[in-house]
Amino acid sequence: MAYKPQYGPGTSIVAQNRRNQMNPGHELEKLRSVTDEDVVLILGHRAPGAAYPTAHPPLAEQQEPEDPMRKIVKPTDGAKAGDRVRYVQFADSMFNAPSQPYQRTYAEMYRFRAIDSGTLSGRQIVECRERDLDQYAKFLIETEMFDPATVGIRGATVHGHSLRLAEDGMMFDALQRCVLGDDGVVKYVKDQVGVPLDRPVDVGKPMNEKWLKEHTTMFHSLVGTAFREDEEYIEYIQRIHTLRTKYGFMPKEE
Amino acid sequence: MPDSVFPQCRIVPLRLLSPATTERLLNQIAGIPGVRRAVINGPSLPVTIPYGPARGAANPNTNRQTIQVRGTEFEMRGQTGMVTLEVRDESVIEAVRNACDEIFTAFPYTLQTGRQFIKSQASLVDYAKYGPNADEFIIGLTDPRRHDSPVIIPAAACNDNGGGLSDQTQTEHTSNYSN
Repeated sequence: MAYKPQYGPGTSIVAQNRRNQMNPGHELEKLRSVTDEDVVLILGHRAPGAAYPTAHPPLAEQQEPEDPMRKIVKPTDGAKAGDRVRYVQFADSMFNAPSQPYQRTYAEMYRFRAIDSGTLSGRQIVECRERDLDQYAKFLIETEMFDPATVGIRGATVHGHSLRLAEDGMMFDALQRCVLGDDGVVKYVKDQVGVPLDRPVDVGKPMNEKWLKEHTTMFHSLVGTAFREDEEYIEYIQRIHTLRTKYGFMPKEE
Repeated sequence: MPDSVFPQCRIVPLRLLSPATTERLLNQIAGIPGVRRAVINGPSLPVTIPYGPARGAANPNTNRQTIQVRGTEFEMRGQTGMVTLEVRDESVIEAVRNACDEIFTAFPYTLQTGRQFIKSQASLVDYAKYGPNADEFIIGLTDPRRHDSPVIIPAAACNDNGGGLSDQTQTEHTSNYSN
């Protein structure tokens, strides 16, 4: 029988959302559309329309050594063209944001190729070739892994994920990269490191509280689904904790 | 730290406040006779970008506005997270609670009471900065890292003399740490 990954334990909606995001066979709902130019503007690595700067000549022009692994692992478009490695970083509010750093890394590892992720408590960075990055970032913004109010695209000065939301429901951002307009639409006015954009980039309306509660991948006993409500998840975590604690003492089977 | 001679209370709304709401709240509170001092805490809104490739560039932010409280103007340096007050007696706290009930209608708030929210005794840093005869109004209001002084707001009319206290407000910011 072929191996079928389970992705994660749990019977709650949070656990199911986690599995959905991780499972590359599950098509995530597309909630908004941003253009390629919008993504390039927010990322701020190059001017829109400019050619991709390269770090090395295209692989086709290089004399590569004979290597069976090179035949098995096909390079991504970015690697093939010799693009630079660039990044996108997200900060997710603890108030029911649709994704969270560890979840992002798990999901990206399952769904994307040729990435290097960095996972921290309040932010998650993913690095890859620039051409691939544009596609990945677009996916991460357009699908249900993003919410304009509780998720921020922040390259630096990320503080805010653990703070209370602002009156208008936006996550705190010292650089105020995105603003909620009178029309209820969130617009990015600065790129991810805080450089003002030539034109605002529209990322759609914030999702409502009900939607966030149904689509979050975070347990939160006050504003969402409490961890204690998911007995299967608790059992799994306790098993892992017990095993790794015992392993610390190097148990020997009699 | 010893308890303060005067009662204190702390207003903690469920959301971070906009400058407009902060202005309304502070005007209501500063209008209550018997409020001696106020400290506003919240995450900092830096004038220039502190980290990253754009470090040092201007940081326009609609939340960093100049607000007016009982005729005194000052610029918000952070987004209001909580307001701590030192009051003349317990009855003033009830007046503060009534004022908050009027303002926080869209989301709840918590009013904590105690006597240790604002530092009441000069610390070593205070001693180094102000010397042995520091003004008691300053202690607990100032951030040792900053050079600007507290904002002085005209006191609301008070029935008893109350020592002729003038209300003072200090805005304070928490650090921007990365995580």
